[in-house]
Amino acid sequence: MPVPFRFVLAASILLALPASAAPVAYDLERDRSSVTFETDFGPDTITGSIPLDSADLTLDFDRVANSRVSVALDVSGATASFPFAAQALKGPKVLDARAHPQMTFQSTSVQAAGDGAAVDGNLTIRGVTQPVTLRAEIYRQKGTAVGDRSHLTVRLTGKVKRSAFGATGWSDMVSDEVRIIITARIAAKG
Amino acid sequence: MALRNSPDSFGLISRLIHWGMALLILSLIALGLRISWMEPSLSNLWLYGLHKTMGLSAFGLVLFRILWHLISPPPGPLATGWQRLFIKAWHWTLYALMIATPVAGWAASSASGIDTLYAGTFVVPPLVEVSERAEFVWFILHEIFAKTLLGMVIVHMLAAVKREMGGDGTLTRMLRGRA
Ligand code: HEM
Ligand code: HEM
Repeated sequence: MPVPFRFVLAASILLALPASAAPVAYDLERDRSSVTFETDFGPDTITGSIPLDSADLTLDFDRVANSRVSVALDVSGATASFPFAAQALKGPKVLDARAHPQMTFQSTSVQAAGDGAAVDGNLTIRGVTQPVTLRAEIYRQKGTAVGDRSHLTVRLTGKVKRSAFGATGWSDMVSDEVRIIITARIAAKG
Repeated sequence: MALRNSPDSFGLISRLIHWGMALLILSLIALGLRISWMEPSLSNLWLYGLHKTMGLSAFGLVLFRILWHLISPPPGPLATGWQRLFIKAWHWTLYALMIATPVAGWAASSASGIDTLYAGTFVVPPLVEVSERAEFVWFILHEIFAKTLLGMVIVHMLAAVKREMGGDGTLTRMLRGRA
């Protein structure tokens, strides 16, 4: 189990650290990061993953609202839990990977919320942009010392209605609601 | 036992294909109705694959059947006059539907954008471009063709039984070769 890194309280824990006052920019550790999704298929669940292309994160632990997140996904590399699902997912009736090879998320505002943060932003799927709110939680990576913010794990979770983006294929078989879990492992720049 | 047809008898090959395909097509219709009514899930998804594999097999068999009947023509119906023509037209229509039904199913499946597999391994080339509109239209045609085929087969069967009971040996000829 990773240790939760309370977004709001983090500031006071880390006051002792010299570099903690300013926003910190992070690089994505792509190979150790993933985007998974799940949705209902009749009584069953389809799961899958979409590779992260890039992620740009700037975190400000003192003033959470100054934090920014943007993520781009490589739709053409999507995989799913059974063979037909991946093809259906990438095909023209769902994500239409040929016409829209990228899916992006850009934060517009970040607010502290409970243990984590609520990240409002614009999600673009199939070229259609819709506002969504993702929940963010930040964890210390395994093997790092308490208070060390050089390597973090950011979990962004949320739900989208695929119909809002025109991804309506197989709506008689596959649920409209898709749950998304982004696990980004990031390293402080420089 | 003759493999080939003659002017007054059905050879073994034609009889085997007739009864084999009759069984196959009736199972296909039952299976097709089952999959169109069921709620798809991971545990029953394979039924689509089974239906497609059986349907494509039926398509292959009907092509072979036509080829065989060009090589070795079957005997005409045991009737005369307009009835003979009517029965022939009925049989031709059965052939047309035995071709149109699987072709429409294959086209609809192609239009859905998911690979059509034969026996779970071979990817069959798509017949039409991926399009929701095309998928919708071809599935409707597939349903109409299949249900018309079912209706016509029921009449076909009743007519064969009726002629047999009338004593002209129609059914016996399809079972044993000769009336
Ligand atoms: C002689 C051959 C075939 C027969 C008699 C047949 C018969 C049927 C029938 C009766 C249905 C139910 C229609 C409905 O009520 O909506 C059906 C559905 C279906 N058939 Fe076929 N079929 C044949 C060949 C094929 C082939 C070759 C394919 C594809 C390669 C195919 C794909 C399908 C599919 C995907 C459905 C389900 C449609 C839905 O989701 O409602 N069929 N078939
Ligand atoms: C899917 C089901 C069926 C199809 C598509 C079908 C189709 C045909 C066709 C096209 C012929 C003409 C001969 C040929 O070209 O092979 C024929 C003949 C015949 N069928 Fe069927 N059949 C079906 C089921 C049945 C069934 C269930 C019976 C049972 C009674 C039956 C009895 C006969 C008989 C007795 C003949 C010979 C007719 C004659 O001598 O002119 N068929 N069938």
